[in-house]
Amino acid sequence: MAVRTVLELPDPTLKRQSQTVGRVDDSARAVADDLLDTMRATVACVGLAAPQIGVGIRAFVVDVTGHRKASSCHGELVLFDPEVVAASGPVVAREGCLSVPHLTGDVARASSLVVRGLTLDGTDRVVEVDAFEARAVLHEIDHLDGLLFLDRVSSPEALFRRKVYR
Amino acid sequence: MSHVVVTAVGTDRPGIVAGVTRVFVDMGCNLEDSSMTILGGQFAMMLVVDAPEGVDAAALEAALAGPAADLDLLVAVRPAEAAGADNPPLDDTAPLDDTASWTVSVYGADHPGIVHGIAEPLSAERINICDLGTRVIGDPARPVYAMVMGVSLPRGADPDALAVRLGEVAARLGVDVSLHNSDADIL
Repeated sequence: MAVRTVLELPDPTLKRQSQTVGRVDDSARAVADDLLDTMRATVACVGLAAPQIGVGIRAFVVDVTGHRKASSCHGELVLFDPEVVAASGPVVAREGCLSVPHLTGDVARASSLVVRGLTLDGTDRVVEVDAFEARAVLHEIDHLDGLLFLDRVSSPEALFRRKVYR
Repeated sequence: MSHVVVTAVGTDRPGIVAGVTRVFVDMGCNLEDSSMTILGGQFAMMLVVDAPEGVDAAALEAALAGPAADLDLLVAVRPAEAAGADNPPLDDTAPLDDTASWTVSVYGADHPGIVHGIAEPLSAERINICDLGTRVIGDPARPVYAMVMGVSLPRGADPDALAVRLGEVAARLGVDVSLHNSDADIL
């Protein structure tokens, strides 16, 4: 268990496709623990994906507890091999990323999702998320496919310098 | 390395970006910030380039004369002022951790004075405009003016009070105005 360094652009790890976990073993759980530790230790961090700490496996953590834009909230949500089963209601909002520290962008993402994945104890879990939690989950799943919000920004006018350093 | 500001404007056509940036590549310049768009059929480029030792604004201007003539562009080049004590960095390249990003939307029947009317009270409150775009839309007989500006509010500024102030100004101008927060969520 450790707080890890969050990789930043242009680290090539961020652009790689992550590998399926298949079975949640101790090494996969150790990665999730590090993701949780790093998320908890980082101010205003609501989610982190394994590639951001340099591990190419399909795992992410999200926690939108207390966020003003959150509606659904599952506390600390840890999923391996996540899969979007259903998605609807695209909404545009401005987001940034710890791995892209100097920019933000307006990105359209589904506001209602059904996501399926494996939990820390290896069982299959299906969760319904919406609003800000849905945005966070989709942002993290994108990391597992080597996609950053920069790949989803709708136009040059939708990219901004990050003005507020939290 | 020194920063040089370049602006180029001309009737829009394919090849302007390629023609102008070829000069930067040939001169060993690195393109830093840029904004380019079409305004009423005119392609407008604004760029800040990092010029290597020995390449100054005059040299760059001379090198741009070729594509400027070929593409019928009006080109202006000048050294970028460095931020200093007399010239504090108000632009968004500085890490302004004391500011919050807000968006001001203004729209209504088109008439002269809308931009100035809204910009003036912002200036009086020392609120910096970071981005601004305007469009004239709708039926030419009854044109509608739409403006969206990104502003950074200094610490201590009260967005509610600003919204009231802008509402008063907008009423006088006969337009609608809204103010909304556009700070990003860091995921």
